[in-house]
Amino acid sequence: MDNRKYNVYFHTHTISGIIICALLYVIFFAGSFSFFKEDISAWQKNTSYVEGRKKVTRDFDHLIDSLGRENNLKGRDFDFFIQRHDLGAYVTMTGSNDTTLKKKVKPKAMAEGKKRRGRGRGGDDDSKYFNYDFAQQKSGDYAEAYDMGEFLYRLHFLAQLNSVPIRLGTPFGYLLAGVVSFLFLFALITGLMLHWEKIFSNFFTFRPWAKWKTLWTDLHTALGVIGFPFQLIFAVTGIVLIANVFLIAPYTKYVYKGNSSALFQDLEYSDTTKYVYSYQPIETSFSVNDLMTKVEKKWEHSRISAVQIKNYGDANMHVILTAKPYADESFSGTGKMIYRVRDQKILKEVSPVKNSSYVDKVRSFIYHLHFGDFGGKPVRVIFFVLGIMGCLIIISGILIWLVARDKNNVPKKKRVFNFWTANIFMAACLSMLPVTAFTMISLLFISKPNQSDIYHLYFYSWLILSVYFIARRSLALINHQTLLLSSLLCFLLPLMDGIKRNNWFWTTFSQGRYDILFIDLLFLILSIISVLVLFKMKQHAKTKEIKVMAQE
Amino acid sequence: MPANKKHLTKSPWLRFVKILTGTVGGYTVMFTFHLLLSKLFLPQNIVVTSFITGYILWAVLLLMSFLAKNVWKVLGMYVALTVLFSGVCFIV
Repeated sequence: MDNRKYNVYFHTHTISGIIICALLYVIFFAGSFSFFKEDISAWQKNTSYVEGRKKVTRDFDHLIDSLGRENNLKGRDFDFFIQRHDLGAYVTMTGSNDTTLKKKVKPKAMAEGKKRRGRGRGGDDDSKYFNYDFAQQKSGDYAEAYDMGEFLYRLHFLAQLNSVPIRLGTPFGYLLAGVVSFLFLFALITGLMLHWEKIFSNFFTFRPWAKWKTLWTDLHTALGVIGFPFQLIFAVTGIVLIANVFLIAPYTKYVYKGNSSALFQDLEYSDTTKYVYSYQPIETSFSVNDLMTKVEKKWEHSRISAVQIKNYGDANMHVILTAKPYADESFSGTGKMIYRVRDQKILKEVSPVKNSSYVDKVRSFIYHLHFGDFGGKPVRVIFFVLGIMGCLIIISGILIWLVARDKNNVPKKKRVFNFWTANIFMAACLSMLPVTAFTMISLLFISKPNQSDIYHLYFYSWLILSVYFIARRSLALINHQTLLLSSLLCFLLPLMDGIKRNNWFWTTFSQGRYDILFIDLLFLILSIISVLVLFKMKQHAKTKEIKVMAQE
Repeated sequence: MPANKKHLTKSPWLRFVKILTGTVGGYTVMFTFHLLLSKLFLPQNIVVTSFITGYILWAVLLLMSFLAKNVWKVLGMYVALTVLFSGVCFIV
């Protein structure tokens, strides 16, 4: 290859990589664990969704009745967005469409209500947003229902940084995550070009016990080459899922003349059809459960993902069901049924497994690839391993960067700066695993942990541990002690789960609570791997000593 | 070993121009290109396709500006392409 080009690839790869490495590590680490979001939630709440799916019947009518005891439901719209584990729903209840019933809403609250999308707390009007648990038939607000699965999931697109009061069209955390994934895409392309000519030989080169520098380089390139397709997918789909505003905003302006709802309708994100309020009470009685049962039987290989009710109790009341096919049945497609309650007529029916549009195909493709939800647990485990490999690539990248610059001809000032950069990055990155395990163990001892408990436990322990490691000023020590802490804490996690809640491997196994069992096993395996790495490192240090002595 | 400095841009101004050309210029070329396609085909199909092709094309165009020996040529080309694409868009 042209020597100049090679050096340009090299330099752009290095610079884009070192800028994003710490944040990208957080994204990869938290993202890998997010493949098991439902399992982590189940583990923390000690309610197995695998077991629950077989036993619990989702009683929508009960939920609506209980809402009706506290509120006048007439003329309201409902939105039930069913969570991926099927046993909970995010519920939105709007104010009444009946103007005679509608409470006077302060204009300010109205504006806030419009701005929030899904996650907010609701304004002063009597609309409501909450989380409903079908197993316990209980509703809680978002902060109460928050759990470790949700925390790691949201950490992986830096949602916690949204509180930084810089808004450039999209919340700060999301924007930052988007920029990081774009730079990641750039680093992937330059990295590929850099190794293009040696790609075949690099694939087979691994000299683990040669020199530290070659170990890191080999690890970086070998894992990078193996993981390239996977990482490219995640870089691209990641930008699309979190920071698509880069494209959506200008398209809205230039193709749709500023009409964003037309764009979203075209892209099948939302249906903005209006249902007129008729001011006539409905005569027929109606049960959501019956309709759900009927539709579930009809669309066997799909799961209903959302239930909407328009104009509750009005003659023009409609129910809209949305369903997604299971990925083994069809990779794309969205089922939709619009049902008019008055005459029990199905106004529109689109089967989830037939005739999906091109837009739906591309969007499903992006979505399934990013969530890894198309092949059950095995695919998620493979994706998890590839994700953790991504973490290793990042770590080795930082070390290559440092070692390459740790030479006598580099000015002292620069070397000090380089060391501190690597020191801080390594301390923050490597303490994530022990901190995650520590937080999860601590949650066992808090009776009803909410969002702020998780925030405090995770972020403070992360801060303390990072500061401690930064202060120790030794990369080898960080490596050694984080491994030690990881093996200890990851081992304690299943152990404490057994002692505290009697969730031993064999009990969860025999009860069919496989999701809880899975998390316990996952951490046991992580602990074993940490011990093995520690052991190998010790062995390696010993043989090296012997060699040195022999040479003398 | 870090990259050989002899092959890299030394002037910070020139480097700044490269970054700007790659990010902003690359973006406008990528966007106007898809905009043009959206006039020729069903717009929502192009919009959704660009979710994948757009970001990759943008990253490649960013790289091009670093790779070129003369960044001003690239800048000129990006401006010309942007004007061309958006001009055709306007006419169609």
